[in-house]
Amino acid sequence: MLSTFLFYTLSLSALGSAGAMIYFKQPINAALSFIVTLLSIAGLFALLGGSFLFLVQIIIYAGAVLTLILFIIMFLNIKEENLPSEPNKAKWILFMSLLIAPFTAILISTINAIPFAPLHLENFGSIKAVGKTLFSSWVLPFEMISILLLIALVGVVILAKKESKHG
Amino acid sequence: MVDVGSFFTVGILLFSIGIVGIISRRNIFIMYMSVELMLNAVNLILVALSHHYEDLNAQVMAIMIIAIAAAEASIFLALFVMLFKNARSLDANFFELLAQEKHHD
Repeated sequence: MLSTFLFYTLSLSALGSAGAMIYFKQPINAALSFIVTLLSIAGLFALLGGSFLFLVQIIIYAGAVLTLILFIIMFLNIKEENLPSEPNKAKWILFMSLLIAPFTAILISTINAIPFAPLHLENFGSIKAVGKTLFSSWVLPFEMISILLLIALVGVVILAKKESKHG
Repeated sequence: MVDVGSFFTVGILLFSIGIVGIISRRNIFIMYMSVELMLNAVNLILVALSHHYEDLNAQVMAIMIIAIAAAEASIFLALFVMLFKNARSLDANFFELLAQEKHHD
């Protein structure tokens, strides 16, 4: 009973704030609305038993990535004239929603044709179990992600460097 | 009673909202956050699959996606700072050099 209530609350807040996120004009409002979506998704992770992913979602996504986005938005000092003019924004969103809706309906009816077991509340995604899986069968992707992060770091430094006249 | 299929439904709906956002908006910040929303929807579906099969590999894949999204975020934000320095605008239509032929000299 509690899990049903939590599921509907969290999913409604995730969907509502995601819908508001694509509608807001100011990027700061959209980013604050997106934080609500991410926290709701973190709650859904916890409901599915992934306690470690719940923490990772809050620390990395809602903590690090969204803070970086908010920092950049505030750093750029965006004024009204810097924003693109989108006079037909609501029409575009309505039109695209109508275009995407049949495919979404097909996907949802397909996935719900599979008989799923009801939710069983137990914590099987603990940090110990996830760490054992990560460092036994996922060692190579883990190391490659560390290289990817290094490449991203170097790329950001080169992009943000002041350009010299002679390239 | 909620079953795992309801989580799949929420994930698919969030993914569709992300697609609508990235196609119908021109503000690059909102387009970027729509991409992040799509990644999160895929993460939700992966964790629901992990719950359904009681297999932790899907959760590790979700952690990998989060790490890649963090790397992507840094590149995206550096590009936004560059774009804003050069164009003083957040319009995605500034990135149209590959879309049409331009004749120099």
